[in-house]
Amino acid sequence: MKKQRFSRRFFSPVFLIFVIMSISWGVYNLAWRLGNVTVHHLLADIFGTLLFLSVTFGTCVVYPMAFLRGASLPERVLASLVNPLIWATKECIRMFGAFSLTESLYYYCNPLNIWLLLGIIAQMSIIEMILRHRRKKAGENIRVFSIPVVAAFVISMALVVGLYAWGRGENIFSSYLVFYKTLFGPGVGLSY
Amino acid sequence: MSDKKKNQIMSHPVTRRDMLKTMATGSAAGFFGMALPGALGGAPFSALPLAPKRPNIVFILSDNCRPDFMGFTVHPFIKTPAIDGLAAQGVSFDNAFCTTSLCSPSRASFLTGDYAHTHGVLNNHMPWTGQRKMFLERLKQAGYDTGFVGKFHMPGNGLPDLPFLDTFVSFDIKENQGQYFDCPLIVDGKPEASRKEYLIEELTDRAIDFIGQDHENPFCLYLSYKTAHFPFLPPKDLAGIYANEKVDLPPGADSWLGRTNGNVFEGTMVGSLDALYRRYGEAITGMDREIGRLIKKIDSSPLADNTVVIYASDNGYMWGEHRIIGINWHYEESIRIPFVVRCPWLIPDPGTRRSQMMLNIDLAPTVLEMAGVPVPADVDGQSAVPILRDGGTPGRSAWFYEYYKYFPENVPTMQGVRTRTRMYVEFEKGMRPQLFDLVRDPGEHVNLFGTAEGDRLVPGLKAMMKDLKAGKRL
Repeated sequence: MKKQRFSRRFFSPVFLIFVIMSISWGVYNLAWRLGNVTVHHLLADIFGTLLFLSVTFGTCVVYPMAFLRGASLPERVLASLVNPLIWATKECIRMFGAFSLTESLYYYCNPLNIWLLLGIIAQMSIIEMILRHRRKKAGENIRVFSIPVVAAFVISMALVVGLYAWGRGENIFSSYLVFYKTLFGPGVGLSY
Repeated sequence: MSDKKKNQIMSHPVTRRDMLKTMATGSAAGFFGMALPGALGGAPFSALPLAPKRPNIVFILSDNCRPDFMGFTVHPFIKTPAIDGLAAQGVSFDNAFCTTSLCSPSRASFLTGDYAHTHGVLNNHMPWTGQRKMFLERLKQAGYDTGFVGKFHMPGNGLPDLPFLDTFVSFDIKENQGQYFDCPLIVDGKPEASRKEYLIEELTDRAIDFIGQDHENPFCLYLSYKTAHFPFLPPKDLAGIYANEKVDLPPGADSWLGRTNGNVFEGTMVGSLDALYRRYGEAITGMDREIGRLIKKIDSSPLADNTVVIYASDNGYMWGEHRIIGINWHYEESIRIPFVVRCPWLIPDPGTRRSQMMLNIDLAPTVLEMAGVPVPADVDGQSAVPILRDGGTPGRSAWFYEYYKYFPENVPTMQGVRTRTRMYVEFEKGMRPQLFDLVRDPGEHVNLFGTAEGDRLVPGLKAMMKDLKAGKRL
């Protein structure tokens, strides 16, 4: 597979999803201002869905594009993480509207972000196996089920499902808050 | 109580002198109660000429229940026949509020009669401080049997030691939130399995157990349900009863709004907003059924004639107003609570509504006055007994709203003042003050702060806010 230039193998897949994510976010959050309930709900459904898909499953586009354009494994992984990281940072900045910088940074570790990260790892590993399988079928001498890739998929999926199954996700959220209190106490006295 | 006696009481206007006499009698009784708690026992106690003997008190607290999501406030589909019955036999307050729209501070306000800045439980991460007395403790000192059943929700290291409670049934899992199904209990300090699968039914059973005890003294039961806290789970047999109902969300709301406003994951993780809304209604109807079971038990016993039943919620809930799902904020849907009082010998006009502003901090002084126990002068709240007795009694003109940031809810610390017609709030960080005229703009869409009208009004409102925070009553 020919290795294409960096802007094509890394930047353009990331940018494609970033544009979809940004437009979706903007339209979703502004649609209600149109004052037309039908149009608002239609746009909210379309762009809310697109926003969710671009943040949560953008990897399914970014990773294979980077793979097929010759990106290395670290490049593929990094490219898959850029947009979710941008989203998590946006949320972190939003938190800074009410909380201190350290509390806002702690928000990076919230269970939704943990799930997101685990989901991305699962997506990357399954896509990696699928693409390896295609290359093998095309005659390349490549191992489809390598231990690290299979392990990444199994562990990440087990954690995604297991953490949700553990009290419908409430227990992991409670643990997150307990650790918050360990770090910050009740949080009311923290200066900005 | 005979009808003649009741009429005498009802027709007797309460003067300041009467009140002072009542306070003095109550103070003395309270003193002896504190000094000789055993000696007071079940002896006759008539500090307040209301009931033939000291009344039993049952207070039922729900979680996140909006007042307009009840049958008696004509919700399009949510059925609450038991609470409707209480409202028909008692009075409901059209303008009842919590002074902090967050569970733990509001619960501590119900228990103490104080604003959050007085009792010190500022957000849901703070344990019970003990710096102010619960009204249950004051009742115990006056000779009452006391029971607390249900959600305590001031998470510390387990539950606090409250020796003035004769029965204390609660839970500490999930930050004191408990869980709707198979919730492990802590009964009088010891872990115990739930006998019923559904927590709300179990708590009702425990409440019935408590009131069914052979009480030599009057009793006070504080029954605190988990309903309708997220994830709004109804009992299994009621799941889906509103599945076909049309949900009418406010303008601006859409099915993707999550509890953390704008967070795209929330709506996806827990289902659409319409589905959540219906489930919330189903959970409320499930709780109402349990309230009905408790009321039936009371009414079919000799307790009925001498038992006050009060129902309220810790705060309201926003279902898409201002594109917000949840509580915390100072907006009307978040701060308004249902407040219903059934007290046959006190209320001359059952089935009516009161328009005076009733607060969560008013519960404790109201209950104490009903029980003939002196209300400490430094309690922030005011007894609603005069208003219950006579709907024409003037109420307060303003009260203090406060909220302290609570991670991870993205709402800044704020304080404000709510008058009969306006809401003014100042934020610690991130937002400019907001001032709404609630008569012209009940949806709170037009911020008057920074306008000519706002400039004229804000100084007076700031002064009121300062006075209220300093303990002045307006």
